Amino acid sequence: MSVYVLPALVIILLVVCIIKRVKVYDCFLEGTKDSLSLIKSIFPYIASIFVCIELFKASGLSATVSGWLSKPLSYIGIPSEITELILLVPLSGNGTIALLESIIGECGVDSYPARCAAVISGATETIFYIAAVYFSACKVRKLRYAIPVALFCTLLGTVVACALCRIM
Amino acid sequence: MNIVFTALTLISIVMLTIASPATAFPTMLQGVMNAITLIFKLAAIYAVWLSVLKMMQATALDKKLSKLLRPLIKRLFKKESEETYGWISINLAANMLGMGGVATPAGIKAMQSMSFEGQTVASPNMILLLIINATSIQLIPATVIAIRATAGSADASSIFLPTLISTAISTISGVILCKVFSLTDSKKDKDYYINGGLSSKNNMLNRLSFKVRPSTHKGAK
Repeated sequence: MSVYVLPALVIILLVVCIIKRVKVYDCFLEGTKDSLSLIKSIFPYIASIFVCIELFKASGLSATVSGWLSKPLSYIGIPSEITELILLVPLSGNGTIALLESIIGECGVDSYPARCAAVISGATETIFYIAAVYFSACKVRKLRYAIPVALFCTLLGTVVACALCRIM
Repeated sequence: MNIVFTALTLISIVMLTIASPATAFPTMLQGVMNAITLIFKLAAIYAVWLSVLKMMQATALDKKLSKLLRPLIKRLFKKESEETYGWISINLAANMLGMGGVATPAGIKAMQSMSFEGQTVASPNMILLLIINATSIQLIPATVIAIRATAGSADASSIFLPTLISTAISTISGVILCKVFSLTDSKKDKDYYINGGLSSKNNMLNRLSFKVRPSTHKGAK
């Protein structure tokens, strides 16, 4: 069913375009042109974040830090198997999915840690990536309380998710 | 951002150089390589979606959508232009439906239209938009359900409700915290965001021009 949603939306839009006599071809040309300039402005941000993530994972730093954090996090109900996932979630979407698959492989898909990991991967966004990309087109550099608030709320959501997985 | 980046990179490189010096440089290259792969994928996604957005603007459908979400958005984001409201509504609608490809370009455009020339500090509305996106309400976690299904889960979509509740809680708490923090802005800060970052020099010029105007009116009479 959901397979039809996107194509259907585009078809409806095209029909509306025809009714309103909008130049569809010109719109497409302009959109594509915009896409390249957008890509050009966000590339440096994506590249720097990806270098950072790659080093973070390859150096074993993420494993070390998650080792330190697993004890305090277990007090607020987060199983120790998924601490590394929580560290990676604000940085990298692909990294999260890869880690989720390895957690599922280790603990079994319907085990408690694997279900927590699944909910967290579905519920969280890559905060640092979004912050970098969204502000890439304007010159704003000081984000003030934005990142701490986003991280705190994500952590809150994570604690709730783990609690919900226990009872549901 | 600079501090986080430098610290993470430095510590990682030091650890990597101690553990296996040969892999340090290839790892960095691998990072950029991943970024290039992603950027090409994004270029394709944005090309299609930005064209669709252009059509939506040309047919004024974006205005209809923003009218639909207007009551909510106007309450959350005060004192922004019509164009900004349009982009924000596209961004939020796309986000809830899980269409990241549309949400990101619309979000970038919204940020751009909220900023003014030479702005360096994010305004409360920009931070709010960022936080709503960073904690976004997820109606259908499609990718994760698919992964669980392929791994042979007994009930792959059982995570749907916990996901919805936890994202709702993180978004609501984010909006509340954001509003609480924006209360701490001084009056000077508010002037800065609303009047487009007029420096004190410009402010003086402004006052001067206010004084000049009445006299010119008199002259015209």
